[in-house]
Amino acid sequence: MAIGTQRLRRGEGTVWGARLAWLLLYGLAAIGAFADGAEAQKPSRDDVEAAYLYNFGKFVRWPESAGHTPMLVCVLGQDSLGQTISKLVEGEQINGRPLVERNLNRPDGVGDCSILFIGSTERAHVVETLTATEGKPILTVGDAPDFLEQGGMIEFVQVEDHVRFSVNLDECTRHRVAVSSELLKVAVTIRGKRETGGVK
Amino acid sequence: MTARSRSISAKLMWMNVVVSATVLVLATIAYFSYDLISFRQNLIRNLRTAAQIVGTNSVSALLFDDQQSAATTLEALRNSPDVLAATLVTNDGSTFAEYRRSPNVPAPPVRAMADGSIDEDWVDGSHVLLAHRIVFQGKPAGTVYIAAQLNETGQRARQYLAIACGVLLICMAAGLLISATARRLVARPMVELAETARRVSRERDYSVRAAPHPDKDEITVLVEAFNEMLVQIQERDTALNRGREQLEARVQERTAALRAANRELEAFSYTVAHDLRGPLDAVQGMVYILGGLDREKREGDRKEILEHLRQATRNMASLIDDLLNLSRASTTAVKMNRVDLTAIVTRIAEDLQRAEPDRRVEFMIAQLPAIEADEGLIRVALDNLLRNAWKYTSRHESACIEFGAISRRGETLYYVRDDGAGFDPKLGDQLFQPFHRLHSRSQFPGTGIGLATVQRILARHRGRIWAEGAVEKGATFWFTLKSEAETAAA
Repeated sequence: MAIGTQRLRRGEGTVWGARLAWLLLYGLAAIGAFADGAEAQKPSRDDVEAAYLYNFGKFVRWPESAGHTPMLVCVLGQDSLGQTISKLVEGEQINGRPLVERNLNRPDGVGDCSILFIGSTERAHVVETLTATEGKPILTVGDAPDFLEQGGMIEFVQVEDHVRFSVNLDECTRHRVAVSSELLKVAVTIRGKRETGGVK
Repeated sequence: MTARSRSISAKLMWMNVVVSATVLVLATIAYFSYDLISFRQNLIRNLRTAAQIVGTNSVSALLFDDQQSAATTLEALRNSPDVLAATLVTNDGSTFAEYRRSPNVPAPPVRAMADGSIDEDWVDGSHVLLAHRIVFQGKPAGTVYIAAQLNETGQRARQYLAIACGVLLICMAAGLLISATARRLVARPMVELAETARRVSRERDYSVRAAPHPDKDEITVLVEAFNEMLVQIQERDTALNRGREQLEARVQERTAALRAANRELEAFSYTVAHDLRGPLDAVQGMVYILGGLDREKREGDRKEILEHLRQATRNMASLIDDLLNLSRASTTAVKMNRVDLTAIVTRIAEDLQRAEPDRRVEFMIAQLPAIEADEGLIRVALDNLLRNAWKYTSRHESACIEFGAISRRGETLYYVRDDGAGFDPKLGDQLFQPFHRLHSRSQFPGTGIGLATVQRILARHRGRIWAEGAVEKGATFWFTLKSEAETAAA
C-alpha cells in the first residue's frame, strides 16, 4: 500500500516569517523534552516483546473457523513474559475477540492458541512444538536465531538497541495465517513468497 | 473626424474602460477574498488528508518501533509541496520520526492535544499547523504534526493583480473597439448634428437639414426636432423678409406721398401768398390812388375807390377765414354732441336767402334725426357745401338746392344737390384739393379751400365725401359720417 500522493496545493513556500527564530527554539526545546522523557522510561525487552505479540494479533487474519472465541496468546516458557502479556491484554479485544494469555509448560497444549510464543528457554522443544502446530492456524513466534529455519513464522531479532522481527511467509501461508502487508513493511527480512502481489 | 467626435469617442471609451475596470476590480476583490478563504480551508483539508494517510501508514512502524519505516512513510510528504515539515510522535510524547522539506526548516511545534480529539489545526504566523492522532483498532498509536506554509497571500495577490492588469488592458482594447462602433452609432450622428447646428448659426442658412438617422432612438428624435425647428425658423425668416419688403415698399410709398404732400404744401403756401398778394396789391394801388387824389376830385371817384378797397379787404378776410377754417378743421379737437343737421342747414339757407334776397332758389331740406357730431365743425362743412351750391347756381335764373339722406347697406349717405353749373366728372378728384378750382374766379369767386375743408372735417368724423355731376347738369355731394352704431360703440 502506497501513501497517497495527491498534490496539495500550490508551490512550496520557502519564505519564512520573522517568527522563524522562536519557532526553531520552541521546536528544539520540545524535542529535547521528549527525548529526556523517552530515556527515563526505557522499556524492557519483555515489555517490547509482549507489546509486539499483542500487536501481531492486529495485523494477522486467521481463517474463519477460528470463530469468535477468545484469542489465546500462549507463551511456552519464560514466565515473566507471560505475566507481562497477561497484564497487557487484560480486558483488551482484537476484532471483537477478547484476549487471553495462557502459559504453557508442555508443547502439547498448543491446539487452541492463536499466537504461540516459544521462548529462548524452550529452544530444545522448538521442533517438537512446531510439529504440534502442524495443520493448525497458529501464529508461531520465537526469538531463537534459527527459529525461521526450523519452521517458525516470526522471529525476534535484535537490531542495535531495537527489537525487530523477521517473517517466514511460506510457513504463514501453509498454516493459513494471513499476515498484513503493514506488518511485512516493518519486518527486517521476509522469507518466502507473498500470497498476493502488489504490496510491499 | 473633428475634435468633437474625438472627444465624444474618448468619453465613450473611457466610460467603457472605467466601467469594466470597476467591475474587474470588484470581481477580483470578491474572488480574491473567496479564494483566500477557500485556499486556507483547502490547505487544511489537504493537510488533514495527508496526515491521515501518513498516520495510517505509520501504524505498524509505531507499533513495532520501526523508525526507518516511519521516516520512509513521512518522506512521501515530499509529494505535497505545501508541507514543510512533519513529526511523528509516540503516545508517550517522544519524537518517533521527522520529515523536513529542507534542512533549515524547523520541526513543527508539538502541542498536546485535547482528549478524544482526532484533528486539530491552528495558524501560527505564516504557518498552518495540524495535529492528527493516529488511532488503530480503537487505540491511539501516536500523533502526526504537520506544518505548512501560508505565506502565499501576497504572492497570490500579485498574481491576481497581474491578471487584473492584463484583463484591464484587454478591456481598454475592447473599449477602443467598442468606441469605434459607438462612434458610428452614437457619436457620428451627434457630431453631424452639431456640425449642422454650427453651420446654421454661422452661415444663417436655415435651408440645410440634419441627415436623418436610420435607427429610431433619441438621436433620431433630436434630429427630427432640430429639422422641424429649422423649418419653422425658415418659415418665420421668410415671413419676416416678406414683411420687411412690404414695410420698405410702404415706406417708399409713404415717402413718396410725403414728398408729394410737401410739394403740395409748398404749392399751397405759394398759392396762399399769391392769393393774399392779389387783394393786397389792389389795396396798395387804391390807397396810392386815394392819396394822389385832389380834393377837387369828385366825391363819386372816391366812393368807387373805397368800394374797390372794401372789396379787396373782404376778399382777403374771406381767404384768411377760409384758411383758418381749414386749419381749425385739421387741428381742433372733435367734441361729439347731439347735432340737428336739418336745423343747421335750414339756418344756413335762411342766411343765404337773406344775403341775396333777389335770387330765386328753392331749398328742399329733409327732416333728419339728430346725430352725434362736432357741431362747430359740421356747421362749417355744411355751410361750405350749401354756399358752394348757392354759388354755382348763381348763373341760373332759378335753382333748386336739396339736402337729404338715403340709407344704403346700413350706412346713411347724406347729400347736397344743386342744379347749377356742375363739373367735368373726369376732374372730380381735384375738387377736394385746396386751391384747385374747376372754374375761373371771374366765373365763380372763391378761394378754392372750402371743399378741402369739408373733406378734412368729414375725415375727422371718420366719414368720407365724393361728388357726382356733369357740366351744366348740376352737382351732388355725397358724404357719410361715422354711423350711429359706431358712435354708440365708441
